[in-house]
Amino acid sequence: MTVELLLGVALGGALLTYVLGKISPGLRNAFALLNALALVVMISLLYGQSFERALPLGFLGLELSVRMNMLSWFFAVTILGIGLLSVIYSLVYMRNKERLDYYYATLLFINASMLGTVVAGDLLSFFVFWEMMSWSTYLLISLRGGSKAIFAGIKYIVMSLIGSLTMLVAIVSLYVSFDTLSITELAGHVQSTTMGQALFVLVLFSVTFVIINALWPFHTWLPDAHAEAVSPFSAILSAVLVRKGLYGLYLLMYAMLGFSMLGKLAWGALSYSNVLAWIGAITIVFAAFRALMQNDSKRILAWSTVGQGGYMVLGVSVATNLGMAGGTFHILNHCIYIALLFFVAGAIEYRTGGIRDLDSLGGLIKRMPVAFVGGLVGICGLIGVPLTNGFVSKWLIYKSLVLEGRPFLAFAAFLGTWGTILYGYKFIHNIFLGQLPDRFRDVKGIPFTMAVPIVILTVLIFLFGVLPGIPLSVVDQVGTYLGFESLNVSIWGIPSETGTLNVVNLLAALAVAGFIVWLVLRAIGRSVSVDQDDTYAAGAAIPSGKYHYTVGFYSPLYRIVGPYVRDFVDAFFLKIAGWTGSVCGVTRKIYTGFVGNYVMYIILFLAALIFVQIAWSPW
Amino acid sequence: MHVVWLFLYPIVALVVGVLFLGLSRKVMARMHWRYGPPILQPVIDIIRLFSQRSASHGRLFDLGIVLSLAGSLIIVLFLPFGDVAPLSGSGGLLVILYMMLLGPLGIALSAGESANPNASIGISRKLMLAIGYELPLLLVLLAFMSRYNTISIVEVVRLQRATGWSIASFPLVVSGVAYLLILPAILAIRPFELVQAPQEISSGPMVEYGGSYLALAKVQHALSMFIGISLSVNLLFGGASHPLIFLLKMLVILMLGLFVNAAFPRLRIEQAIRYLWRWPSLIGLVGLVLAVVIGR
Amino acid sequence: MVSPVLLIAVPLGLAFLVPLISLVSRRAAMLVPVVACLFNLVVAITLMPGVLDQPVVEKIGGFPPPFCINLYAGPVGVLFAALIALAGLGIAVYAMAYIRTGPVDRYHLLYLLLLVGATGVVLTGDVFNLFVFFEILCISSYALVAYMGNKSGLEASVKYLIQGAVGSGLLLMGIGLLYGQFGTLNMADIANRMGSVNQVSVFVPLALIISGLGVEAAIFPLNAWLPDAHSSAPSSISAILSGIAIEVGLYAMVRMIFTVFGATSILMFMVFLGALTLLLGELCAFAQSNVKRMLAYSSIGQIGLILFALAMATSYSVAGGLFQLLSHTLSKALLFLAAGYMIYRSGSMEISSLHGMGKRMPLTSLAFTIGAFSLVGLPPFVGFPSKFLIVRAALARQQSIFTILLGFVLLGTLIEGAYFFRVVQAIYFKKGSGETGRSYAPAVALVSMFIFAALIIFVGIYPQPVADAVGSAATELLDRAEYVRSVLQ
Repeated sequence: MTVELLLGVALGGALLTYVLGKISPGLRNAFALLNALALVVMISLLYGQSFERALPLGFLGLELSVRMNMLSWFFAVTILGIGLLSVIYSLVYMRNKERLDYYYATLLFINASMLGTVVAGDLLSFFVFWEMMSWSTYLLISLRGGSKAIFAGIKYIVMSLIGSLTMLVAIVSLYVSFDTLSITELAGHVQSTTMGQALFVLVLFSVTFVIINALWPFHTWLPDAHAEAVSPFSAILSAVLVRKGLYGLYLLMYAMLGFSMLGKLAWGALSYSNVLAWIGAITIVFAAFRALMQNDSKRILAWSTVGQGGYMVLGVSVATNLGMAGGTFHILNHCIYIALLFFVAGAIEYRTGGIRDLDSLGGLIKRMPVAFVGGLVGICGLIGVPLTNGFVSKWLIYKSLVLEGRPFLAFAAFLGTWGTILYGYKFIHNIFLGQLPDRFRDVKGIPFTMAVPIVILTVLIFLFGVLPGIPLSVVDQVGTYLGFESLNVSIWGIPSETGTLNVVNLLAALAVAGFIVWLVLRAIGRSVSVDQDDTYAAGAAIPSGKYHYTVGFYSPLYRIVGPYVRDFVDAFFLKIAGWTGSVCGVTRKIYTGFVGNYVMYIILFLAALIFVQIAWSPW
Repeated sequence: MHVVWLFLYPIVALVVGVLFLGLSRKVMARMHWRYGPPILQPVIDIIRLFSQRSASHGRLFDLGIVLSLAGSLIIVLFLPFGDVAPLSGSGGLLVILYMMLLGPLGIALSAGESANPNASIGISRKLMLAIGYELPLLLVLLAFMSRYNTISIVEVVRLQRATGWSIASFPLVVSGVAYLLILPAILAIRPFELVQAPQEISSGPMVEYGGSYLALAKVQHALSMFIGISLSVNLLFGGASHPLIFLLKMLVILMLGLFVNAAFPRLRIEQAIRYLWRWPSLIGLVGLVLAVVIGR
Repeated sequence: MVSPVLLIAVPLGLAFLVPLISLVSRRAAMLVPVVACLFNLVVAITLMPGVLDQPVVEKIGGFPPPFCINLYAGPVGVLFAALIALAGLGIAVYAMAYIRTGPVDRYHLLYLLLLVGATGVVLTGDVFNLFVFFEILCISSYALVAYMGNKSGLEASVKYLIQGAVGSGLLLMGIGLLYGQFGTLNMADIANRMGSVNQVSVFVPLALIISGLGVEAAIFPLNAWLPDAHSSAPSSISAILSGIAIEVGLYAMVRMIFTVFGATSILMFMVFLGALTLLLGELCAFAQSNVKRMLAYSSIGQIGLILFALAMATSYSVAGGLFQLLSHTLSKALLFLAAGYMIYRSGSMEISSLHGMGKRMPLTSLAFTIGAFSLVGLPPFVGFPSKFLIVRAALARQQSIFTILLGFVLLGTLIEGAYFFRVVQAIYFKKGSGETGRSYAPAVALVSMFIFAALIIFVGIYPQPVADAVGSAATELLDRAEYVRSVLQ
């Protein structure tokens, strides 16, 4: 099994899907599914392998190569796994929509290019795949049409283009200095570079990765893009695409520059890792409060994606094996629960006719129990409730922050979690709990193929939450690949002198306690099931409309924090964009449309040339 | 002995918590120059409630309350009670902090399912109040964790035995003051009694509960009171080497809380948040800075 | 060994045959440019391997240089000739379907003359000969801009004519001064004697020639004719003007500066001018709501980028500039061709009238998208390797001024990206108001677009042959002594 074959299947599958779609939609769906499945099987066969191979085709005299190692494998498996689930989910979700050939082909193409970025063995092919990923994503974000989706698409691509241009400069600057772009060779060379150049390259790369990872202050594209894309694609965006930024940071910070170099790039307290960590911290808190203000199911999730990225960056920038494991594990966990949540939000949208407004939903637990369970578990993972996967990774991050003497960063992380609790509960409460509006009386449950990914991900959240040792052993190998000390991992958690974690004990205790309480409730209490309004109305007439309290759920809090958590950065960027527009409008006035002026320009240009030469003779 | 405590300790906590409820009603009544109910009144109430029939609004309504109580029961196991700390080997302060979520979350899910506006308002207030006091609380806890350089609460207690109570040691006294300032909010007593606010939103989340549900909810309430007080004793007042001394310390703190409870009227939620985010947070921040600066 | 003279002679002869052939059959007349371009392409490609080793110097009339008019078919000339033939071929195929109304035979005649002029400019080794070919190029393009015969076309054509005439006049004055000073018109000979005269006295001809050629090369502030001319011309003519004509002007200018004058001191000024042209072009393009004007302004930007790269005058940068020139030719031609039929079908040049085109004309829209992506420099299209080379060249100079200028250049690229992506979105994701039925472009036009698109992708993925060719072309452009030696030996 080779990486070339894997890439070939991924890219070829995408193109073939389009062609097959012209023949028959059924064939196309089956093929897309098969292709995604085959990729998952292939990547699992590659587990534990480590090699690097040159591709037969060079580019402008540069050798291109692909490689496989634990880091690549870890990211590749999340990409392909979520890709498969997303295709399964799309089968029904996207049915009867327009441009399905285009949709499936682009979706698979995006997956293929993301795969390319993580298996690329040199920076040039990394960049090529990165760009392919960028523009194909742009092509899919606006699929739904409508002015919001189009705005989201343009916002994304412009920011992404800024990122890729800075990255291009960084890559070429490395190339000019060292005459190679192979990641392994560069890792050796950069040790000898000057601080100035190291910083130059580092900052340029970081801009790219911070943009795509949607960290403050470059997060502004994400909420629009994720909310406006179709849900299966939102899942891919949130779960894996934005995390390519982290892959890039891993590559840059640990695979290329290494600790010694990073350590040297510090002026007192102002070091690269510190700046990055504070960006992460600001992102967490800001995103948590922004999410709190949202009233659109997918926008909440989009903002939470922004915030969760901050946790990963915190873990990564602490640069201990514990923090690194936490950050890496959080990538995996986030990818699981956010995909789940987007699937759930999509299912709600699908069954209620496109409703995402949290004020008009409610009570759907009775109609869509699977979605409820998925949503609740997903939110618990997002919050990091013990016994879900998110808990373990967040625990690792907190612990490393506390023990490394970074309490302020830890504070931001905790505070973000409390924000998450608030908006997470609102998500559950306003969609699933309480009163079922009349118009959703006849809403049906989730179709089977949409339920499959939801169930799988729900189970994974619990599995990884209770037996974190399984994923942590992989995460640990990623850490050791990057040069960190191996973590002492056992199947149930993490033993250590400064504070142990044993999740299985927790589960056992909770299960026993829960069972006893339940027995008490069953054995002693006698209860009858009554309608929701029986107690509240006590037999009186109920107002015909909605009486449940969901609108403005945290309005007192909004009144307090509202004025402070506006998205100033977004407003600023939009102002720049508008300002550029007016500069353009003014600039075009140079071309007056009057030919006399034009001739004058020519003569003046000539006159100026000669005058300058006579006056100063610079040439 | 370990295994015995594993089952005995939650029961002790439960009994203590319920008795504290009764005691507080009695003390409050005396402060109001009333005679007050007997101390055992809550026990009587709970027994009565269990014997009544109750209304349920579905499976989540049941499961939520079970989750809430079970969650509260097992946090107890993580908190040192004198020398007893059955599960403290499985997770430290971070786990406790997160497990404290399960109680409110269970109630929130269960009560949210009832579609009663009063319940939802109560929950929304509970969560807002939580983020209100979590902000200073996190600063305080982080000061402790930084100072003692551990996330294990058993370690915190052990170190205090060597160096004296945290509340009496220099940098942590600041954090301790901040903690005491928010303790009423953690215990949900006046002036922060706005989640239940019986006169205003008919007991908030409790409004739909009757019979055994109400009994379990009351037990949960008692337990959360126990947890809040026990956490303060462990963090600030050096824990204790014997459960009885520990209980005594808890009693003192309860009394302090009751004085506050008796003296202040209830705040509105905005006032509460503004208060919590102003002075306690500021003091907590100072405490954390001091702990970091002096600790290093 | 085929002679480079054929590259000029055969199309020129065929051009004058067009009116005769059209008397017999109008359809056959349409095929003449195709045949001529195909011929030129084949000749250029057969010449290519030879000239990479050793440039061919073709002496007309049998006298040795500097006494005769000579053609110089080095890597640059043949590369350009091949590019002209290639673009000319694609556009001629397109025009077979696109040009249906009006004096069709004269269109094809003028079109061929335009190509002859362009080929002549890039091959000639004589300054006055260069002027002559330049005039052939310009005059046929004045006429072609007004081909539609509508008001805007005529107005644009007259404006173009006036400015072009001023430019030609300046160019002629410059050449005259040179002749007066050196008594020769042979480029190599002038270059050879350049060192013997006072540098100040050659500055005036240099300034005149830069200004004169700058008009046709569309360098700011001499480019005001371009947006009008390129947007009012028929789309096939816009394509050839944007893809070939201005590049040829730029070539002539660079050849003059590099080879004839050897004026290295003015290059830094040209670098700035290039960056400025780029930025202003892109800024103006961003403000357009008319798709053809937008493309025209984008051409200004691209010319600025090419000038920026060429004027840096290192082997990397010139190679990058020539590569960029090639990728701009392919991409911009494709864009104009695709836009041509979209405009034809929607009846308006406003971007808003292109809404929903993705459904109505899927293949044409796809072609437009490929062209746009390539122009912005996204892999795996041809714009990427050229952008990569330019960035490398700028950074390889290792001077912060170039890094800063590169920043501005990339800012220009960003703005370019923004407006192209906006149009692509309008084509695919906005709902059209009018018709929604499928309406494909004619098969011939699609074939032509397909050729360009396939080349864009192929060279984008496998740029090595082109990179080799532009590499040796860059060496030729920069090595002045070798040029002189090979002509005068």
